[in-house]
Amino acid sequence: MFLKPNTPLAADIVGVEHINGLFSYALVLTRNRSEAEDLVQETYVRAIGAMGRLRPESNVKIWLFTILRNIWLNQLRQRRTAPQIVEMDVEGINVGIGTKTSDDDPYALYVSTLERNQVREAIDQLPADFREIILLREYEELSYQEIAAILDCPTGTVMSRLARARAKLRALLSAAWQTAVQSGKEVIE
Amino acid sequence: MNAHDEHRVNILLYLDNELRGQELEYLLAHLDNCADCRRLLEEERALSNLLHRTRPLYTAPEPLRARIAAAAGPPAAFGDKPKRKHEHLLRFGWRNAQCSGVRWMTLAAMIIVVVLGLTLVPTVVRHAEAATFIDTAVTTHRAYQENQVPLEIRSSSPEAVTAWFAGKVPFQFRLPSSQSSPVGHPAYALSGARLVKFKNENAALVTYQMKAETISLLIASDESAVAAGGDEIRSGNLTFHYNTRAGLNVITWSTHGITYALVSSIHGSAQHSCLVCHQNMADQNVFK
Repeated sequence: MFLKPNTPLAADIVGVEHINGLFSYALVLTRNRSEAEDLVQETYVRAIGAMGRLRPESNVKIWLFTILRNIWLNQLRQRRTAPQIVEMDVEGINVGIGTKTSDDDPYALYVSTLERNQVREAIDQLPADFREIILLREYEELSYQEIAAILDCPTGTVMSRLARARAKLRALLSAAWQTAVQSGKEVIE
Repeated sequence: MNAHDEHRVNILLYLDNELRGQELEYLLAHLDNCADCRRLLEEERALSNLLHRTRPLYTAPEPLRARIAAAAGPPAAFGDKPKRKHEHLLRFGWRNAQCSGVRWMTLAAMIIVVVLGLTLVPTVVRHAEAATFIDTAVTTHRAYQENQVPLEIRSSSPEAVTAWFAGKVPFQFRLPSSQSSPVGHPAYALSGARLVKFKNENAALVTYQMKAETISLLIASDESAVAAGGDEIRSGNLTFHYNTRAGLNVITWSTHGITYALVSSIHGSAQHSCLVCHQNMADQNVFK
């Protein structure tokens, strides 16, 4: 039994429920805004085209993330035989945050923004396999099994890679904040 | 793998809700008796909480969202040939799309010229106005540092400075109250303030001192001052604009009819500038 086009699941696929997650995933993979947008668009194109073959019990989110990753891997393979133009524009990315703090205090929002920027910068310094596993676990809240399905690897690999990624990320964030903490201490002293 | 490493692995599994049965029971029992592992758990939890606070990591741009939403269309649009219709909609205007005929390319070029004309001109004007406000903020900051614009009120009391501006500027604002730090010494100090002119209107210059660093806040009505350009980060209803001018960090934003420009030379990011207002507020853990 396959999915009928007008079922709720179909609406879920073509809706934009997962678009932030997909866009974030595309950005941590490509670190390039234009490529990330293309990747997300292509993902939806493929998903809509293949929707009729999706079973109702399928996990749409996992399916979409898997499609995106496969497209990206194919693009990487194609590039190996073609000249590459590397564009690293994550720092200049102009993307909304979409969350707000508990109140409308602009200063609180400002601080929240700074915090987010530091996290983004730290994640950006991680290797690609660490970036994607942090994204999938901490931001998309996928289980180890679901992550293993997307990455096409054993669950044990997810576990060990995630542990190493977290350790590295913690070190990067600690280094970034050490200056602030030290500065505060100096002032207080 | 020694016993401690095993606990470390299980702590991560526990945090990820991946630990079950006996292993979970063993870990919980161990945590009751092992301060090191409890500390490790809290460190890992703190990292996770930090990451969770920054969700989503990125937000899809509106144009992309709109393209996909339009291509998805209402459910009824899924007829006998859904694939071709949606592929066309999604791929139209695509960076890598290839138009088959010259006429299509010509038409597309004309549309692009018109659209760019309609969208870019107001944007350019707006960015030019924003640049003027930034330049004024930087110039004023420099002039204050060089003692060319002395303060008209010297006070470390936000309430006193707020009261001083009443009736002097064409907008109402209130500086956040200072709060003492856990050890009783604030990391910053409000120095004072003065009036400055911006586009023939009174604007407020408020200055802070943080050790050897000077931080200035230029505040003007949004009828005269615009915040735009730079690296934009949206947060809730606010958009912050990050710029660098002559070695100074400038962050501008507008809210409630007022536009702000925070200028500092603090090394690294503008993170330290937050201490001006947030040193001891509920969100102070951001800096720890």
